[in-house]
Amino acid sequence: MFACLYVPDFPVQAELLSESPETRKGLTQTPLAILDGPANLPRVVSINELARSAGIQIGMTKLQVEIYGGVLLRKRSIASEESAQSKLLDFADGFSPRVESTAAGTVIIDLAGTEKLFGSPKSTAHKIIASAVEIGLSLQIAIALNPDAALYAARGFQGITIIPAGHEARRLASLRIDVLPILPEMSEVLDGWGTHTFGSLAALPTVALTERLGQEGLYLQKLARGEVNRPLLTAEPIAEFIQSFEFDDPVETLESLFFVLNRLLQQLCSSLVARSLATNELRLTLELEVRRIEGGKEGEQYEHDWKLPVPTQDKQMLFGLVRLHLEKNTFSAPVRKVVLKVVPIRPRIAQGHLFAPPSPEPEKLEITLERIRGVVGSTDEDGRDCVGSPKLADTHKPDSFAVQHFSSIGESPNSSSAGAPVIALRVFRPPLETSVELDSEKPHLVWLWHRNRRVLAASGPWCNSGNWWSASRWAREEWDVALKTPAGIGYYRIYRDRILKQWFVEGVFD
Amino acid sequence: MNRAVLKAQIEEAIPSAFTVHKRQQQQCIPTGITQIDNAVQGIPLRALTEICGSNMASSGKTSLLISLLAQASRNHFCALVDASDSFDPCTGQAAGIHLPRLLWVRCGKSKVKLRPLEQAFKVADILLQSSGFGLIAVDLSSIPERFVRGIPISSWFRFSRVIEKQSAALVFIEQEPHATSCAGLVLRLTNEPATFSGNLLTKFNPKIEVVRAQGKKPVRSENLGFSLQTQWA
Repeated sequence: MFACLYVPDFPVQAELLSESPETRKGLTQTPLAILDGPANLPRVVSINELARSAGIQIGMTKLQVEIYGGVLLRKRSIASEESAQSKLLDFADGFSPRVESTAAGTVIIDLAGTEKLFGSPKSTAHKIIASAVEIGLSLQIAIALNPDAALYAARGFQGITIIPAGHEARRLASLRIDVLPILPEMSEVLDGWGTHTFGSLAALPTVALTERLGQEGLYLQKLARGEVNRPLLTAEPIAEFIQSFEFDDPVETLESLFFVLNRLLQQLCSSLVARSLATNELRLTLELEVRRIEGGKEGEQYEHDWKLPVPTQDKQMLFGLVRLHLEKNTFSAPVRKVVLKVVPIRPRIAQGHLFAPPSPEPEKLEITLERIRGVVGSTDEDGRDCVGSPKLADTHKPDSFAVQHFSSIGESPNSSSAGAPVIALRVFRPPLETSVELDSEKPHLVWLWHRNRRVLAASGPWCNSGNWWSASRWAREEWDVALKTPAGIGYYRIYRDRILKQWFVEGVFD
Repeated sequence: MNRAVLKAQIEEAIPSAFTVHKRQQQQCIPTGITQIDNAVQGIPLRALTEICGSNMASSGKTSLLISLLAQASRNHFCALVDASDSFDPCTGQAAGIHLPRLLWVRCGKSKVKLRPLEQAFKVADILLQSSGFGLIAVDLSSIPERFVRGIPISSWFRFSRVIEKQSAALVFIEQEPHATSCAGLVLRLTNEPATFSGNLLTKFNPKIEVVRAQGKKPVRSENLGFSLQTQWA
């Protein structure tokens, strides 16, 4: 069986869906008409029930509608309709994995194998209607043995229509043929024959109809009889989930931006949840309002990516990440448009380990790291992260390391890895420039902490060099020296940079 | 009035007035230095610890911290809040720290208005709020003493109260102890002259004084000696 979900007055309902629930509630109690067409002569393309009761008709001009008064006029938004169609597909996905996006405001779902989940076709239809009301959609549903019978029944009959197998022709008979995809010239011919309903078209002799209207006529008759059986053109799985919002007036305050971001993330997370998916990659794009410069750019974009160690569907967590990041950044211009994109992947299914050590929750950890970055900054002058796990670089050059993303998911350490305690070096970053007085080619006095310190013992020189083939070559001569300080003896590592011809204090053994 | 009646009346008004609060058995993270582990069982969980030593002279406080991190990272996730960005990852790895389990926060490295000391305290606060770390170490030893002395006692008290409720150890590395009674363990390190073997610096001979320890009553100072070797010895 196939169920067709049809959204009557789709442009109106799409417009309502783009509003917040509170605004939507107010708009449902107001006559609303959607206008489209050239700017100088827009016409009504869709109206709600209240506007219909007030006498507004499809095709009226804006001027004609304004005569009635009290009717709210809105311009048709393709973006809202695309978003509503995407929402309708997500919604249908919750009932069957095989969904066809037939037209704007119309989807057909294959109900085969869903009986045990949702019950009889009638029960399924009631459940669909009830769920649709929750997300703010008003639907007409028809269930039939083939997709096209369900499609025309949904478009033609209000509420729920269940067509038992073999009764398609009889049930569709009362429908007007206007809902069929008929070419204008063929419509004139049928009109001339007095054929206005599915029933009259179905009753025409097949051979004679084919002789006069050809294969197209025969196809239309089969549609009217509910005999066309075609496979569903199922919607391709969406590779990425995108939500965007364009402000009427560019916003300057973060509060306004957060309000919209929260709503967009809610929609993205709902879509992910509806498809049993999660995301580990979030991209934020902000289009900034920049004054038009002659020959220059019209706008400017700000982009930021978040790569999460674990997939998540948690809106609060994603919103927290975005909020903390935006709070520590300033932009050169007000924000005109905001786009959020998430990359869907399968959610993480992991069994907690009974004997594993307690670890920071991966989702909360990301927020924690972002908060810490807000305090200490993201990167240093060399472009290395200020927050993360240290990783040694594959080089002999001293103090060469990288800082990589810290994650609480990873392999356990080898239990025998902790060795005997060693003397640690406290590094001065950057190294302290100093002057050294030599005696018999050994350091005798070292300038440190604003005065010359006497060298009590020295170990060296230890020569080291690398990258001689490139511009980043280095060569140094290291000494480990014991210096007399007011607090006692300090053991320092000093070195002479043989390229800069300068002495430095690298650190203290502590 | 009868004592029993009086007790009953008080208990009626304040139900837990006479309930004996059982102190949980102290759990510790070993430092990897036998002498310290024998004396104080290691660094206590659910308590604030101060490890002190001179900034100019080599005292061995950083070596103790590195050894502690190496031991802790075998079973816990650790965080090192480095107020002066002085941690050497190479030494860390040589000592056996499992680096992927170490969150290293380098303060004072980017163009942020806050001073490194303030950054370190704010980060420590954030880390304490997010549970999951077994050891949180805050290295303030390169911060001038006059700034650390200015930290109000209420901050130390708050840290000690927060860490009491967590299964984690909070360790501060400083030049002098400042947390007073808020600290569960205070260790002070000094160094004897190091050993040179021929032309090589090979051995440190630090002395450690247990200034304060929760597990030991009455509180008394205790001096211990141990030795540390260089990586190349």
